[in-house]
This record gives sequence, C-alpha cells and structure tokens, in this order.
Amino acid sequence: MSDTRRMLAEMADPLFAELGPDAPSERALPQLEELGLPLLLVPEAKGGFGGDWLDALIVFRLAGYHALGVDLPAIAVGKVAGAGEEQHQSLMAFARAAQIAGALDAALGLAVGYVNEREQFGRPLGKFQAVQQSLATFACEAAAANCAAMGAAQALNRGAAQFEIATAKLRANRAVEIGTTVAHQVHGAIGFTQEYALHHLTRRLWQWRSEYGNDAHWSRRLGSAVTARGADRFWPDLTARTDPACR
Amino acid sequence: MQTFVTEPVDWPDTAPALREQVRALVAEHGERDPVRRANSWTKAAPQFSRKLGEAGLLGMTWPTEYGGHERSQLERYVVIEELLAAGAPVGAHWIADRQSGPLLLRLGNEELKRRWVPAIARGEAYACIGLSEPGSGSDLASVRTTARRDGDEWIIEGQKVWTTGAHVSHFMIALVRSEAGSERQAGLSQFVIPMDAPGVSVKPIIDLTGAHEFNEVFFEDVRLPASALLGTEGEGWKQATAELSLERSGPERYLSSMVLFLELVRHAQGKDDPVLAQLVGRLAAEAWTLRLMSASVAAKLARGEDPALEATMVKDLGNSYEQAIPQLVQAAVDFGDAEAEVLRAVCFYLLQVSPSFSLRGGTREIIKGIIARGLGLR
Repeated sequence: MSDTRRMLAEMADPLFAELGPDAPSERALPQLEELGLPLLLVPEAKGGFGGDWLDALIVFRLAGYHALGVDLPAIAVGKVAGAGEEQHQSLMAFARAAQIAGALDAALGLAVGYVNEREQFGRPLGKFQAVQQSLATFACEAAAANCAAMGAAQALNRGAAQFEIATAKLRANRAVEIGTTVAHQVHGAIGFTQEYALHHLTRRLWQWRSEYGNDAHWSRRLGSAVTARGADRFWPDLTARTDPACR
Repeated sequence: MQTFVTEPVDWPDTAPALREQVRALVAEHGERDPVRRANSWTKAAPQFSRKLGEAGLLGMTWPTEYGGHERSQLERYVVIEELLAAGAPVGAHWIADRQSGPLLLRLGNEELKRRWVPAIARGEAYACIGLSEPGSGSDLASVRTTARRDGDEWIIEGQKVWTTGAHVSHFMIALVRSEAGSERQAGLSQFVIPMDAPGVSVKPIIDLTGAHEFNEVFFEDVRLPASALLGTEGEGWKQATAELSLERSGPERYLSSMVLFLELVRHAQGKDDPVLAQLVGRLAAEAWTLRLMSASVAAKLARGEDPALEATMVKDLGNSYEQAIPQLVQAAVDFGDAEAEVLRAVCFYLLQVSPSFSLRGGTREIIKGIIARGLGLR
C-alpha cells in the first residue's frame, strides 16, 4: 500500500468506527467533510482530494467494514464529473462491491471472535470442526470479494472497467449469501438481537446485494458480453486486460 | 480482519511476447481433442514436453548453470497459465518443473543437481512425488516406508500409493522414515529414487474413467548411494511441507475445467438464452477473480514471502470452481440437442474426473482445517 493510501486508511478508520452505523448525518457529514472525504474523487485542481480508484476502494471498504450509517460512497461517486446514468450505476456497483468486501471481513472478524469466546459442551465453539469448516468457507468468500473489488479498482485506474466492475459486484453478491448465513449461524441467537452489532453488517449486506444490479443483472450482462466476443476471444481478452503492452 | 491482502500484480513487460510464443507452440504441437484438453495437466505427452524444453519454457526461473533460463517467477506464471488455458498436455513434466526441480536446486547436492535438473529443463526427465502410503492418506506423518543405513548405502523398504505419473517418471522424491522407531513428523527424510533402480516396481491403479494416472510403487531392498539423501537427514517433514504453497496456488487449481467453460461459451453464442448467458457470466466472474488471487500469490512467492494461507484459499476456491462447472453445465444445457455433442462429451469426462480435484494436493477438509488455523481457531 502506498503512503498516501495508508494515511487515508489511518484517517478514515477511526472516524468511521466512531461514527458507526447510527450517527445522524447532521453530525457525521461535517466531520467527513473536514477530512475532505465527500470530495475524495474530485481532482485537486477543482478543490477536491484528488484520489484515484484504489483510494476509493480503501475508503469505501472501510465504510462497509464499520457499516457507516452515512452513504459516503454515494456522495463521493455523485461528485464524479461527467458520469452519465449508466456510468453512475457502474461506479455505484463498484462502491457497493467494495463496501460488501469490507462488511464481510468485519462480520468474519466478529464471528471468529465470538466462537473463540463462547463455550458450549465444555469447550469454545471454535474448537468444533464443523464450526471451523464453515468459517473457513466464509473466509474464502470474503477473500474473493476483496480481491475482485481490488481488481475492479485497478481496472478503473487503467480506464475501461466494465468487465471488472461486473465481476466485482457479481462476486461480492455471491459472497454475501455464504457470509451472512455462516455469520448468523455461528453466532446463534445473540446475533439475531438488536443489541449485538452483527445486524448492522448483515442487514446492509443483504441490501447492497440488491442495489445497483443483483446477481441476475450482472451475470446476464457479463455473460452476454463474453458470449458476443466468442469462445476463442475469452482468454486472450482476459490476459490483455492486465498485460503491459496491451493496456 | 483481512485474510487476503491483494497488492497489484506487476505483469512482466515480456508477457505478450511469451503468450504469443506459447500460443503458437500449442497451435502447432498441442492436443486437439477437446476431451483430452480438459484436465490437461494430468495428460502426459513426452513429445510436447520436449518441445517446451527446446523452446526454453521449462525450468524457466532456474540458473543457466543447470540448464535453466533465469527468467522471473511471473514470466513462468504467464507461460503456465497459457498452457493450461489452452489445455496443452503438460502432464509429463508438470511435477518435475513445478516442484522437484526447485526442490533439488534448493536442497540437492551437486551430484543430484547435475544428474536431474538440466534434463528436467530439457523436458526429458519427469518426476513423481512419494508421499501417500496405504496407511497414510492426508495423514502424511504416519508414513512407514523406511530407509536404513548399510555402510555407505541406504536401503529403502516399503510402499507408496496414489503416485501420479510414476509409470512415466524417471525419479521419485520420496518421504520416508529414516530413523527407526521415530514417530510422526520426526525422523523423516527425503530421498531421490531413480525409478529404474533394482527393487523398484510400479503397479497401475486404473481410475473410474479407465485412465492410468495413479500407481502403487513398491520398494524391495532398494539400495541407494549416500548421495540419494535430499537435504538434511531427519528434516524431511519440513522440507516436504515447505513446497506446498507452490503446489496449492497455481493456475492448475482453477483452470482444469477451462476447456469446458470455453465450449459452453461456444454453445451459448448466437442463442440469446438468458440462462446460458447468466451461467457464462457467473463462471467468467469466478475465473477472473481466481486468476487475480492466484497471480497475487505468485507475486508474493516471487517477493520471497510465504503466502501459505492465501495459497490454501486459492486451492479451496479453485477446486470448488472446477468441480462446480460440469455440474452447472449439466443442469443448464439440454444434452439431447445435437449441437451440444462436444459440450456433452467434455462435460461427462469432467463430471467423472472432478471428484479428484478436491483430493489431490490436500483434501478439502484438511485444507479448510489449515484455513481455520490461519483464522486463529486452532
């Protein structure tokens, strides 16, 4: 991670943690503005933060991680100049994928912490092989969502990113299913209460999965694009997205 | 908690040229039958392996002194993902190029290196790995094959099983118990055993498709010179397990069923069928994500880090993906359709072989146990 990005993360992380899921926007917005975050994607020349899409990934992911109550990603993406309706939808799909990645990691962290603490039948839940296997599956899904979001951010920085955004949202959507299911299952009844923090994450995850393109929307779009190019172009197209001479 | 930190992968500037080189070679000498192109890293074709050797595409990262080409880890990655995506028959040299060569270079004495490494790089020497035994599947620490000293020689007695490619291999790197009475991980050593040494015999195990990839290998009073010991006596466990990141994160863990995916795309073309389009989209998204994860592990290995946890995740997700493709294609495509003939043939082949995907290189349950340990649950 570059120094600016580390700085950005160190700035946003404690603030998002403090504001959390419930801070009223009249209190949260001024603090977010003080750090320049709503103008994250506005060029410096226009008075903005001048961040790129990898910067956005860090901030949006943390907004998801802390289930930030203010829709900061929507505000920041709303200020991207020249984004038409379709492009706006794509950029928001990227934002939701990044938020999902962060929220899945947070839910995984909660779940791991909980099963290490909670004892049943004389030992911590985390010592039961069935619980371990479920959480390992969850961890892989969270990892895939995070990597796909990273891939989309890199592609956005390179230019055309339709393929990667579709992939990131679709992959993140699919990870929501396993992630939320396992997180609630291993928490038992406590995770189903209002007083415990899990629902801040899982209720948002279910919502974000539907927003800016559900599984069917993105899989059909991506599939139609791949099919239109034809079987023989799939692999060469894929490698051309990342190879130096081609980008 | 963040279990998989992805840094951007700097693909080498030489990548496009390397891809062209591999694509041309595969077009000229590769396998055409789509069924044989599926699961291609288990298909042994010595002639093709020698072509790759001649082209300088084996032992790519190894020192020129030992027949290597001193190219970067990511250049090698580009070549192997091209070979697998095209379904090239790389099975003969696969294990030697991926694991045995690097292991010999790292730990082998001069005699072992001179004897085997340049021949691997030429695509002429192939290797198998002697880990599993009849009593030890995933529980490798229970191996019972023994090596005992007799003057200047070592005598190997015992049996290995599930040995992929033993019948086409020139040598085996075997994990054996070299200290009488030792238990579990202690007292194990690795030996390089020429397959033509007196006392070594190979018996085929035919799989459920009728194919011969696995074998039983028997050692009866096999006498080896002192130089056959690989690395340090008693350190065999550590030496053998250190290789696992190389084995678990490679593109072979998600590309085995790529040929079937491509046939699905061919089948879906021009049909405007939303069910097929959605399936193609879902599988394409997964392939792209797995490629990013796999390459990112390769980049970490190239930087000298040990991304063992990430490698394990790539294997688990990759195997699940490869196994899901034939099931999903079967569920979505009407095989009664005459146009679907090739698709059906590839799909049925992969349905039959895919149970092995989550067995080879560590069973799914063991892999998930390793991930659980990485999460701090064990």
